[in-house]
Amino acid sequence: MAATNTTPRAVRQRAREHFQNSRRRRGLLVAFEGPDGSGKTTQRKLFKTWLQAEDYEVVSTKWNSSDLIKPLIKSRKTVRALNPEEFSLLHAADFRHRVEHVILPALWAGKLVIADRFLFTGLARDVARGLDLDWVLKLYQPLVWPDLVFYFSVSPVTSGKRVTATRMPNYYEAGQDVTAVDDPVESYQRFISRVIREYESLALIFNFITVDAEQSIVEQHHQIRDLFREGVRRPWCEWNVDAVAEWLALSGQQR
Amino acid sequence: MRRAQAILISVDGVNGAAVKATAREALRAIGRARRGGISVWDASGLFEELAVADEEAGTPSPRTLLLLFAADLAFRLRWEIEPALAEGKVVIAAPYIETAVAFGRATGISAGWLANLFGFAPRPGDRRYIDTAPPRAVSDREGFVEFCSERVAGTPTALTRQQLLDRTRIQLQIAARRARGR
Repeated sequence: MAATNTTPRAVRQRAREHFQNSRRRRGLLVAFEGPDGSGKTTQRKLFKTWLQAEDYEVVSTKWNSSDLIKPLIKSRKTVRALNPEEFSLLHAADFRHRVEHVILPALWAGKLVIADRFLFTGLARDVARGLDLDWVLKLYQPLVWPDLVFYFSVSPVTSGKRVTATRMPNYYEAGQDVTAVDDPVESYQRFISRVIREYESLALIFNFITVDAEQSIVEQHHQIRDLFREGVRRPWCEWNVDAVAEWLALSGQQR
Repeated sequence: MRRAQAILISVDGVNGAAVKATAREALRAIGRARRGGISVWDASGLFEELAVADEEAGTPSPRTLLLLFAADLAFRLRWEIEPALAEGKVVIAAPYIETAVAFGRATGISAGWLANLFGFAPRPGDRRYIDTAPPRAVSDREGFVEFCSERVAGTPTALTRQQLLDRTRIQLQIAARRARGR
């Protein structure tokens, strides 16, 4: 049996060839981003159902959901033990673990991954907590770029109304660790305004597709379908080669 | 009255037990009034919890382990190191950044990414490097690199456990030479 060439250059080449092979349907990554209460989850579910009807094999992944890191974060959030750096680093660790164990394996297998929040959530929240954008962005390297990022845009007031209509925002969700405001609702309003400001900047920098999340659910869904049909023809993003190559080298598989 | 100068001393090495022993020795050499204590890794308990995680949760990669080390270090800085420095004391961090950086370099992670990761941590005023091989018995291994080598090795990575330890040790020897040259 011929030995596989495992030099960094050869691994990168294998990554490129795999994703640029036009004879098979390549893996696609679609991210849904936006503040709490913007309706992302509803749209993600509708989108997933539609994609499955279109014969896509779909994998969903949510923010802060890795089996390994999530429990570490949860226990520390419960006792309000995290400062902004710790909060940021632990979420980056959770994301990295999901990239290596959920996202890249699914993409490699030609599946469509829907991410309900992606690294931009980390960027928007961490910068809103006063951390440096460049420092946070580099934590997420090597970067995995989605084929499409849908940004669900709502005003801070709408976000606040929708979130507080059914429940009280929790300590970190309300940003009480940085606002020093005792009332969670008031704190949420202040914090989400900062988060939305960061999202708006990120939407420009990273060319998100903005969906007006104040529209009806049906209107948004149809808009997403149309935008997906246009966006899906984009070529594979060469920037992803570092992340894929590192994952291939780590997993050591003859994929 | 003039306040005593605060100093952060880093003790780095692959052998966790030797790093701790050196830190204890260094602390004894400091006058009682100036002792700010020893800060060891996993003060936050992150790795202790990780060690008992379900196998099905997946093996953490070197990069994930380093992000967790940095989170633990942020915790140590906040609760152990910075308060003691603020009181003008001498604090010993055992291990500090160099051990994690050496592990990262040994696994092929770029120096730039590692420098950014630990960009929030202050530079030590004094650096010590412990070039002792890890003990043979796995049960006697208590350092960060020893912990990581157990977890990363055993998955189908290109490096064996021993290779990881050896490579990290070499990276630390390079760092020590560089520090001596400063």
